[in-house]
Amino acid sequence: MGHTTTQSRSQSGRRRSGRALAGLVLSIGLIGAACGGDDDKKTDTTEGTDTTVADTAAATTVPPPTTAAEEVPVPGGKVVFALEADTSNPWRPSEILCAASCHQVLRNIFDSLTLPNSDGSWSPYLAESVVPNDDFTEWTITARADVTFHDGTDFDGAAIVENLTRAQTGLVTNFALKPIETVTIDPSNPMAAIVSLSSSWAAFPFVLTGQVGYMASPTWLLASDADPLLKPMPVGSGPFVYENYSAGEVFSMTRNDSYWNAPYPYLDAIEFRPIADALSRRDALKNGTVDVIHTTNGATIAEFRESTDVGMTEVANQGETAYTLLHVSQEGSPLNDVRVRCALAYATDEQALIDVIGAGVQQIAFGPFSPTQVGYLENTGFPEAQDMAKAQELIAEYKAENPGPISLALAATTDETNLTVAQFQQEWFQEAGIDTVTIDQIDQGAYVVTAALGNFQVFQFRNHGGFDLDQQYHFWHSSASGAVGSLALNFGRISDATLDALLDENRASDDPVRKKAIAEEVNQLFGTECYNTWGSYTIWAIAHKTSVHGPTGFELADGSTAVFGAGISGVVYPMTFWVEQ
Amino acid sequence: MRYVLRRFAQTIFVVVLVTLLTSVALRFLPGGTDVLVALKTGPGATPEQAQQVVKDLGLDKPWYTQYFSWMSNFLSGDWGTTFQSNQPITTAVKRALPISAYLMVYGQLLALSTAIPVAVWSAYRQNSRFDRVSTTSAFAMLSLPNYIVAPVLMYFLSVQRKWIPFPSIYTSLFDDPVAHFKAFVLPSVTIAIPLFAGYMRLLRADMIGTLQSEFITTARAKGVSTANILFRHALRPSMFSLVTSAAVNVGALMGGVVIVEQFFILNGMGRLTVESIFRREYPTVQYAVVVLALIYVGVNLIADMAYAWIDPRVRARRALS
Repeated sequence: MGHTTTQSRSQSGRRRSGRALAGLVLSIGLIGAACGGDDDKKTDTTEGTDTTVADTAAATTVPPPTTAAEEVPVPGGKVVFALEADTSNPWRPSEILCAASCHQVLRNIFDSLTLPNSDGSWSPYLAESVVPNDDFTEWTITARADVTFHDGTDFDGAAIVENLTRAQTGLVTNFALKPIETVTIDPSNPMAAIVSLSSSWAAFPFVLTGQVGYMASPTWLLASDADPLLKPMPVGSGPFVYENYSAGEVFSMTRNDSYWNAPYPYLDAIEFRPIADALSRRDALKNGTVDVIHTTNGATIAEFRESTDVGMTEVANQGETAYTLLHVSQEGSPLNDVRVRCALAYATDEQALIDVIGAGVQQIAFGPFSPTQVGYLENTGFPEAQDMAKAQELIAEYKAENPGPISLALAATTDETNLTVAQFQQEWFQEAGIDTVTIDQIDQGAYVVTAALGNFQVFQFRNHGGFDLDQQYHFWHSSASGAVGSLALNFGRISDATLDALLDENRASDDPVRKKAIAEEVNQLFGTECYNTWGSYTIWAIAHKTSVHGPTGFELADGSTAVFGAGISGVVYPMTFWVEQ
Repeated sequence: MRYVLRRFAQTIFVVVLVTLLTSVALRFLPGGTDVLVALKTGPGATPEQAQQVVKDLGLDKPWYTQYFSWMSNFLSGDWGTTFQSNQPITTAVKRALPISAYLMVYGQLLALSTAIPVAVWSAYRQNSRFDRVSTTSAFAMLSLPNYIVAPVLMYFLSVQRKWIPFPSIYTSLFDDPVAHFKAFVLPSVTIAIPLFAGYMRLLRADMIGTLQSEFITTARAKGVSTANILFRHALRPSMFSLVTSAAVNVGALMGGVVIVEQFFILNGMGRLTVESIFRREYPTVQYAVVVLALIYVGVNLIADMAYAWIDPRVRARRALS
């Protein structure tokens, strides 16, 4: 197949290189819609050394057309897929703290009720239909007929109720489903479940595209309640069946021969191996020990763009933003003051990080929404270039009112690239007038928990991909916040009445024009309040041996195309992979 | 016999001390039980769930009760499950231990099997060209840290030439011997290089001293062949320092090859311990530390016993004392 690249490009000319931040996206089942894209966006499809550019109105990541049209998939074979992190969690949808690598694994075991499609909206997937009442306070989800879980349990209305009830009360997922009041089996149809909400929620099906929409076998869920040792042995209805999991080493699975969505999967087996270090992951692919890797590392992407030995698909649409998360409500913290927060933004030379560390791959970010997301703005009011004098002025102003030294703790993962970024930031923040900046390195497996606990001040992160603003609700709404030491998905503990009102209005609305305006207001609010220090829009690359074909999207029952990498950035469908025999 | 008993008593004291310290370590973690609860339950734990975690970990009991309970679990093999993945800790340790053991054995064998002949010949041909080259090379090897050797080997042999797989995916020796040795060849070489240098220099120095002994002169006068003099008469009494060093390295290698395991992504004890620390999998760290400590203490005990086998004079001295 050669080298295949699918990516969106901005005409603004501000496409820049990027740093590889192995932060985390916590996608509690949120892949959104809307968007519609930008007329200026284009999709590059590169085959071998030839490059063609095709317009795509939707500006979403679609399967490379040449691959689908010209090549006939061959069933069989095995692929070893190297991931950036192990998950080390109980593999139950309502309990797992799931980042991109985790979703990449789970999507093979579990099917979600809905999926994002190439129209920028959602389509039913494992669900036959998802239908609202007039005011979006009640949704009826009907199970697809003749689907069984890997253990032979039938997929029906009861299975949906079991899963959604657990998600509703789950320690991790309950934040995403707060409006749900009850989930019951439809009395008139045992294949359907009725979800009753406390308020209008037009965007509800988007939440079912991800973690809370993953359907696990009720039999396995009950069995693993009784025996926790079964928790790492997931049973779903997906294209692959669990075979073995060794924490930190391998997650292997085999073909589900009776998968309902034939002819998928093509592969007989797939093995996921965590290799945390981005450059080691690259070397493992070059060595041939692994067949596929995913990466956000700029140097790797730049190298493979020029390589004829490696195929690569780039995924940038609806993607995440790499940024520095700030805890903005810790008692006595200088970060409670907007001047200090904006001073950190002025002190940072993000473009230098992108150029020096990221090999010029990623695009600099001035807000949470990447160019193909609803709410993206070129100018958000966020500082667009380093201005150390301004940063020093703001810190001095703060110190005049709050005498005494300022100290900050900066957290990064154990990845070397992230440490380098942290060291740059440390230097800049100190130059701006912060007296002490310490760096804490935390393993990726414990990273999300640390953020959820709120035990941080400044934290490298990656998040906020998706179609709809509603997907960010529990990351920003004050109802999802909590005290330090208690766990919350509003990691930065933002409490802003204006932001809350905008998020609530967006949740209830199904008017695309108004939703776009709301998302833009939110973007500007983040720009002026400097709640986070924005870094770059993440590009994920799926690099693979030339003998491996994929990934691609696939056709959904309603005729639309399932897209990958949207919302849960970088996550593709390995069931579409096939290998030359 | 008294000496052996005394060494056993010392060993037991060390084991009790190590297990005591590790068993109560959870009490002194930064962040306290809140962090443990969060790691175990995930976000949103109720007070009842938090209390249950504290109870399960024995943190609601006095330290001595906690110690005896912990020791009882340790001895019975009921080590519990990891915080986050709910997998048995014994499984993780059982999987990691052979990897470190193979790495240690292969590294040691490679280092010893090359260092001994080189050191013997260097000592015999003191100040010859061979001696100068070997001692200078040993100096250079001693100054090469693992984190330089590993990526260089990896780059040339795995990335450029693709002769050796990377990462080193562990395969059982009995399932696929070729894949097994391919997985261990580069990590073993990386470990063996500084070991070789150290062993070679130690043994060479001791051999030079031994070769100047009167019994060697007597053997020569009696017409004993050079090979016999070197390997039968001179080598054994020259191995004190080497045995001590090798024994200390056994313990160190079992848990101390973190850099090598990290580079080659071999999930041995070192990597298990370090990653468990980063993941705040404290019970796993506790058991891994105790296992490593026991191995370390046990190997050193065996080394002490081995002195007597190597040199009968030790037996005699111990008997007299």
